[in-house]
Amino acid sequence: MTTVHSPSSIEECSALLGGSDDRIGFVGGGTELDLGPPAVVDTIVRTERLARIPDYAPADMVIVAEAGVTLAQLQSTVREQRQMLALDPPNPERATVGGLVATGAYGPRRARYGAIRDLIIGVTMVRADGVVARGGGKVVKNVAGFDLPKVACGSLGTLGMIANATFRLHPLPEAEATVRFDSLTPEGVFALVKRARDAQLEPSSAVAISGYSLAFRFEGFAKGVEQQTERMLAFGGERDDGSFWPRHVAVRSGGTLRVRIAALPSQMVEVDKAMAPLLAALRNASFAWYATLGLGFVSGDLDDVDGATGAILAARRSFSLIVERAPDEMRVDVWGPKPNSFPIMEQLKLRFDPRRRLNPGRFVGGL
Amino acid sequence: MEADLIAQFSAIVGESHCISEPDQLLTYESDALTSFHALPGLVVLPRSTEEVVQVVRLARAAGLPIVPRGSGTGLSGGALPVPGCVLLGLSRMKRILEVDLDNQWVRVEPGVINLEITKRIAPHGYYYAPDPSSQQVCTIGGNVSENSGGAHCLKYGFTTNHVLGARVVLGDGSVVDLGGPVQDPPGYDLRGALVGSEGTLCIVTEVVLRILRKPEATRTFFATFPSTTEAGNAVSYIIAAGIVPAAIEMMDRLAIVAIKAATGVDWPDVGAALLMDVDGTAAEVEHTAAEATELARKAGAIEIRIPRDAAERETMWRGRKSAFAAVGRISPNYVVQDGVIPRSEIARVLEEIARISNEAGLRIANVFHAGDGNLHPLVLYDAAVPGQEALAEETAGHILKLCVRAGGSITGEHGVGADKAPYMTEMFSDDDLATMNFVRCSFDPEMRFNPGKVFPTPRLCGDKPGKYVPHAAELAGVAGRG
Repeated sequence: MTTVHSPSSIEECSALLGGSDDRIGFVGGGTELDLGPPAVVDTIVRTERLARIPDYAPADMVIVAEAGVTLAQLQSTVREQRQMLALDPPNPERATVGGLVATGAYGPRRARYGAIRDLIIGVTMVRADGVVARGGGKVVKNVAGFDLPKVACGSLGTLGMIANATFRLHPLPEAEATVRFDSLTPEGVFALVKRARDAQLEPSSAVAISGYSLAFRFEGFAKGVEQQTERMLAFGGERDDGSFWPRHVAVRSGGTLRVRIAALPSQMVEVDKAMAPLLAALRNASFAWYATLGLGFVSGDLDDVDGATGAILAARRSFSLIVERAPDEMRVDVWGPKPNSFPIMEQLKLRFDPRRRLNPGRFVGGL
Repeated sequence: MEADLIAQFSAIVGESHCISEPDQLLTYESDALTSFHALPGLVVLPRSTEEVVQVVRLARAAGLPIVPRGSGTGLSGGALPVPGCVLLGLSRMKRILEVDLDNQWVRVEPGVINLEITKRIAPHGYYYAPDPSSQQVCTIGGNVSENSGGAHCLKYGFTTNHVLGARVVLGDGSVVDLGGPVQDPPGYDLRGALVGSEGTLCIVTEVVLRILRKPEATRTFFATFPSTTEAGNAVSYIIAAGIVPAAIEMMDRLAIVAIKAATGVDWPDVGAALLMDVDGTAAEVEHTAAEATELARKAGAIEIRIPRDAAERETMWRGRKSAFAAVGRISPNYVVQDGVIPRSEIARVLEEIARISNEAGLRIANVFHAGDGNLHPLVLYDAAVPGQEALAEETAGHILKLCVRAGGSITGEHGVGADKAPYMTEMFSDDDLATMNFVRCSFDPEMRFNPGKVFPTPRLCGDKPGKYVPHAAELAGVAGRG
């Protein structure tokens, strides 16, 4: 029997975590609950009532938000001051600060602004023993102490509960435009990325989707955006009609099976080959490739379980691949082989959560 | 150190790279924070990961702490030896191992000088972004340890945003990789934990760094103001207009006087000056440069100079980057402070610093990264005057506490090291520090590496129940039990 709690203060969280021997899982907006093998827990802590923004300093471009604040709420708060959190993962209406930190979130704008690890500057964690610990601070530049905010990013609720986080903000761009190229080969995708870079253009996103369509987004002051757009159009692209980015979101949030593959940007040809058998095993399948980062996502509805499993195992011989979502009938190791630094990760887990109570088994290597 | 043990270390790195003569050890007794010094037992200068592994194993067998060191340019005593330790100098590991322009990364050894990377890739139109003022001499290994910043970190981020991975040697001599050129390896962000850990977790023997394409255009301008108040307002206006300058540096009257004396730049005698870079694509820069200069005028700029050519720009920046050393021209001694405040507090905090200066009767020059509120007050004193050194240290300490009270940090880029460990409790609770110590113990449970740094009171890891094994830190006399 699983009990559900929705604490409304850090003190309550501390009492909840420290006050029992329960195994505990955390839920924010529930957008990434499929990530990692399901943890067997006695208690679920929901963050929906931790939804305050205790501090926002527009002049310093810094904001503190509690775990349950959605990305959309945060963005609408800072948008009034013509600022933004430069983070654009799918599902901003549901995704919460706690979940974004725990999953190490990012979207296409990572190409310019980095992932959440590059935007977080402070964190408050509630440890398994109920102790509340802070790391980082409220200023962008700060090297005092170990970087707990980065340790929290991507830890999937296995080290502690992320109670609140502090972020650096960026100015909201005055203008934005997307130039799209269609019917490209994988070689053509990488060639265009290089061509844009050689021309010293500075896209904030560069994403290719099966077909391949490749979109470059430019943002900043209007004059700069217009000049870059014109130069990119001269390479043979066209102005996107607004249809490209929703297609990208569909790949990253849809399908009954979704995997993430990591490689070098120049390896797009090999990645394309490695993903072909997986795409063939899915219905409504599509592949999105963050062309400057070397991160790709395949999603679709699973038709052929054996075919998909075989394709994943084969791809893992050459690439790092994570299964972000899979139907229950599919039996496959979600995280892939353990890195040689795993003993340190295991120690980290044991120091933070010696009785393995927080999201047990959900992370790499059964952490 | 016993001759037999010295011989064993010599056998690993070669006799000429194993230093044990007391007069030669003196070279290594401190880093650039010379007020702290201690003699190492031995200095070893390995040339490869394999040699580092052997040194670590031997030091472990002998129960000796290990302190890593790059060029020794650190300003917080991070490379200060623990008395009798093995000081592991990484300056001979200085090869650039791999350059991948297509994928924008380089793999380097820790002893590579920061600026050497940009020199290597500049002909292809690339550069390595973090640019600490000491970049002509400081090493990448040291940058990784300290999470070094620099003037251009406002737009491009700190060392931690540019380290993709590292190969490291742990306290038991094992070699592991934390990340690499491919993004997002599964698991905890251990390279995030590594960067800025000040040599307390492991020994870094290779680093994979992200490199950037050179921007199409860069515009520099130098603006003078009646006082730091107007200069501070200019910074606020520019940021509020949505401009993210590549760098925006402020110098006050005393700093300007010092820089002029040391470098011969023809800057006027004014209350404050800003040196600013905007970069990006051509049209973007045209817009931001025009807007920023206009805002500087609106804030009360007396004069705005635009360098005529690359050489003049270089001179302006050399002036700024030589500021710390330049202060030596106007004062026999000085303490370099490194604190951070929220940008919106600059005017108020500078007034407070002026008050502190008056009260102490010591001059304070201010040079700082205005865009991110990273202050570098330089407290001037004369060591020949009895009591003045202590007064200067105390004054610098007051400034640090002022920064924390304003909502800032005790260090923006120089690190905690030995110098600021006592101030950590100004920012962090015991629980915060104990939690950070989890990270340390996960990497280095025996506290072999750089014991006594970062944490205000030595903490042990408290594992290994059963047989009592003394820790390196205890043997060195810097930590005790109970």
